[in-house]
Amino acid sequence: MEFDKKSLLKLGKLARISISEDKLNNLSKDLNSILEFVDQLKEINTDQVDPTSNSLNQALEVRDDKVDNQNSTEDVLENAPEKEMDFFVVPKVIE
Amino acid sequence: MVAQMIEGWNLVIGIEIHAQVNSKSKLFSSSPTDFGSKPNSQVSLIDAAMPGMLPVINKFCIEQAVKSGIGLNAKINKKSIFDRKNYFYQDLPQGYQISQYKDPIVGEGFVEIETENGQKKIGVERLHLEQDAGKSLHDQDPNFTFVDLNRSGIALMEIVSKPDMSSPEEAVEYVRKVRSILRYLGTCDGNMEQGSLRADVNVSVNKPGNELGTRCEIKNLNSFKFIHAAIVYEAKRQIKLIEQGESVNQETRLFNTQSGETRSMRSKEDAHDYRYFPDPDLLPLTLDDDWIKGLQDSIPELPDQIKERFINEYSLSSYDANIIVSDKATSEYFEDVVKNRNPKLVTTWVTGELFSILNKKNLIIEDSPITSKQLGELVDNIENGKISNRQAKEVLEEMCESGKGALEIIDEKGLSQISDENEIESLVDNVLNSNPKNVKKYKNGKEKLFGFFVGEAMKLSKGKANPKIVNDLIKKKLSQ
Repeated sequence: MEFDKKSLLKLGKLARISISEDKLNNLSKDLNSILEFVDQLKEINTDQVDPTSNSLNQALEVRDDKVDNQNSTEDVLENAPEKEMDFFVVPKVIE
Repeated sequence: MVAQMIEGWNLVIGIEIHAQVNSKSKLFSSSPTDFGSKPNSQVSLIDAAMPGMLPVINKFCIEQAVKSGIGLNAKINKKSIFDRKNYFYQDLPQGYQISQYKDPIVGEGFVEIETENGQKKIGVERLHLEQDAGKSLHDQDPNFTFVDLNRSGIALMEIVSKPDMSSPEEAVEYVRKVRSILRYLGTCDGNMEQGSLRADVNVSVNKPGNELGTRCEIKNLNSFKFIHAAIVYEAKRQIKLIEQGESVNQETRLFNTQSGETRSMRSKEDAHDYRYFPDPDLLPLTLDDDWIKGLQDSIPELPDQIKERFINEYSLSSYDANIIVSDKATSEYFEDVVKNRNPKLVTTWVTGELFSILNKKNLIIEDSPITSKQLGELVDNIENGKISNRQAKEVLEEMCESGKGALEIIDEKGLSQISDENEIESLVDNVLNSNPKNVKKYKNGKEKLFGFFVGEAMKLSKGKANPKIVNDLIKKKLSQ
């Protein structure tokens, strides 16, 4: 799989990260080398193997439906750059 | 008018319903799910997506999804997988929603709806569990958006239909039916005003015989009225475009509840690229056969079965049965009243008089000012002839205002109906004796006067005489 500049810019846009022109070349080289590394997995024949979403052979942990509201509004908002009337405040976004 | 505009066109409608699971805590965290709490007061560090937090799934939510699946006659998947649906938005702190993509917990099923052409089966494609997002408020400030994460992480069941509906009415019936089933099961409270159940509607139009048209998705409809109006508007819009030689763009649209119009939200070019992948924080969910069987055995009687039973047991018409079973509380109320009473009379009083009072007062049956026991007492007094139907209406109004019981009001107002034949006979004799001229005219063929005699007798009894007995007796006496 080849990561060209166009897909790199799209990926940046989806993650809301701006990628400057001078960084494009290096970044796509880096990403491609990562992909090449991972591509080695393709050499293994998996015809007889069911797709797996997790390599741990365990059951999913579950919990009971009990309320435990430990975190205060103050804690939750503590790292918010902007807050007002107990809301997070962000630049206007209307979709 | 709707039919006229749309005549000559096929409508193809598919619906995604988002139903909030009736759980106390969230899908992957122990934060409460109460509606209307103070902003950001029900947010754990998991819901706020602080680094290093791990989701742990709520067992109750899994049960509710499976129960709902059983209620929708659907296949329960013994293995399902949670995936990350990636998109960037300010009310989604994780940057992804935990959802299910290729392997949902519930597979194909169906529900049956009533249409003008009889029963119709609407296919269900799947039901999966996912997290709700937070809430953005755009109108608090001209330059900023305010975010409340209380809803973030609440468990939703997304129920996806097949594109089997072909009119706005069928679409509304389908949502009604699904809502009713979930409410009977107790898996979702179905409160549309509070957003516990909302629908995204996919609409396309095409000429009969032609291939399917391009569809548009209208997001977030939270009432039956809006679902209907949005589909009508959208179908007309698409037909107009095609008739003008233009084409329909595949896009997501929003319905403006004020103007009744839909407007474009994002087009296919800006469509999200969700880059789904299995959530590495969550193992696959596997369900045990015995556990599923246990849930199957716990499923209560559902609306279709209750309808069937009401028709057989109480000889209700399909129409009346439908009205009564469409809401769980109504069918329970009806069953409370109908026990050992005349079903026809009870049906009339529940769906007629009681409903009209509730409508007038804008109340749901759970908040009815008249309990099922009180209505039963009223019906008893009609059945045993103590009061007439007309008097009963008066008593019901009074019951509603004062909260007093039927008997108490009947006694207070001296309303009880006279059904004693001897007593009524003397009234009738009195009327006939004091109107000899009219009796003569009647006997000479002026039969219209019959009503006059009945009216006089009723007047004399202050409206209390049993009208049927009065009629019978006057007829008998005048023919002597």
